[in-house]
Amino acid sequence: MIAAREVSPVEVVRAHLERITALDGSLRTFITLTADAALAAAAAAEAAVVAGRPLGPLHGVPLGLKDLYDTAGVRTTGGSRILAERVPAADATVVRRLREAGMIVLGKLNMVEFAYGPEGLNPHYGHPRNPWDATTHRMAGGSSSGSGAAVAAGLVPVALGSDTGGSIRIPCSLCGLTGIKPTYGRVSRAGVLPLSWSMDHVGPMTRSAADCALVLGAMAGYDPADPSTSVLPVPDYTAALTGDVRGLRVGLLRGFFLESATAEVRAAVEGAATALEKAGAVVDEVALPGVRHAGAGSLAVVATEALAYHAAWLRTRASDYDPDVRTRLMLGAFVTGVHYVRAQQARGLLRREVDEALARRDVLLAPATPITAPAIEARQATLGDGPADIRSALIRLTRPFNFSGHPACALPCGVTAGGLPIGMQIVGRPFDEATVLRAADAYQRLTDWHARRPVLA
Amino acid sequence: MSQPIDLETMRSVAGLAGFEWSDAELEAIRPLVDASLRMLAGLETLPLDEVEPTTQYRVL
Repeated sequence: MIAAREVSPVEVVRAHLERITALDGSLRTFITLTADAALAAAAAAEAAVVAGRPLGPLHGVPLGLKDLYDTAGVRTTGGSRILAERVPAADATVVRRLREAGMIVLGKLNMVEFAYGPEGLNPHYGHPRNPWDATTHRMAGGSSSGSGAAVAAGLVPVALGSDTGGSIRIPCSLCGLTGIKPTYGRVSRAGVLPLSWSMDHVGPMTRSAADCALVLGAMAGYDPADPSTSVLPVPDYTAALTGDVRGLRVGLLRGFFLESATAEVRAAVEGAATALEKAGAVVDEVALPGVRHAGAGSLAVVATEALAYHAAWLRTRASDYDPDVRTRLMLGAFVTGVHYVRAQQARGLLRREVDEALARRDVLLAPATPITAPAIEARQATLGDGPADIRSALIRLTRPFNFSGHPACALPCGVTAGGLPIGMQIVGRPFDEATVLRAADAYQRLTDWHARRPVLA
Repeated sequence: MSQPIDLETMRSVAGLAGFEWSDAELEAIRPLVDASLRMLAGLETLPLDEVEPTTQYRVL
């Protein structure tokens, strides 16, 4: 529409800024709003359209950034008090790439301090509010909670999140969004504050698989500044969205995954499998027994890597941390070197198990979270297989694929009787995001869950 | 680890890692440390003898 001059980038940016002004006082999704810079960029984008200059694939589209992506000249806090005044000199690689593709950054989004937690809470900048419930203050989820709530509320059409144990997929599940955690190595982490170097993934959070495909295509690819990125060429993800799932082999993850889910979540995911089957996919059931140790393995890896990054601040600025985050960091001191190596061995086992499941299937299907958005004061949840604390409940189905590194896309597949979104995830082979997105997009052509919006005051 | 971790051990381990946490701070996180160590002990039950430690890097 922008390229066709049906709407101007200035109008688009101004409309989003007005919506942020109207709604963000209660939603608390932004830490830093860069309205003046966004309007200046929009004016330049409009001039480019008028002058007939070549336009990027995302020309004039507003973008929100989780506040752990470095932005040149704009503070990047990591949701912390410790980095409250930190102003990077340069953009993160993916921020630079998205600006080059034409996106306009509106500001920096709220998050769990240093991304260490899945509930989405932040005592320093306020707890982001899940926009799907106007009466009860519910978790937006993940550490990328500001990103999830902002996209769900229509404050930005696209946000970037990061995912160490599910922090893209959890807020997408709780807020009714579509987001992809790409394969480890598919997207550069250069200029992104780390939580756990070997578990961190970055990716887009949007309203549809088609939008994810467009944004991921502009983000992905080798980056000499991130030695973990792959030199594999980036396919045209949008071209992969054929809408055709005939013959697509889908493995529905039974056992741990469906057993964990509440009855409403389980029914919604099984309904999605049925919908794909009716569209021509070949659905069977599969279990990943080794996944039960992903929690222990992830704990060993994340706790030690996070402590290594934070050790100096933990010695000198301990009182500046959120007490919950400080406690998680302290735990890392009691994880031994042997635990860490055992975890890396267990990672190899799980990766092999997922690879084997995908040798005979194109994608795997599972709930993204076993529950829907809890109230922010909730500490316990009742899952399909018994009680669990909220934190472990939220991450139990997503973190196995951080541990294994496989790509996984979360998307809505229903709503509860109380009107809260239900999310599922589609998992694919390493570097086969195209098939993951094709399956997600095809499902969204069959259903309208992704098109539903929360009612906002 | 079959025995719950005691405060003295926690003090020693934290000191080795370079942290001077008070007994009150250590006592507050002891249940979490205990639960985590029990969880981590489960890794020893896996058939890992023939598995080399994996890094996440897939250099392709």
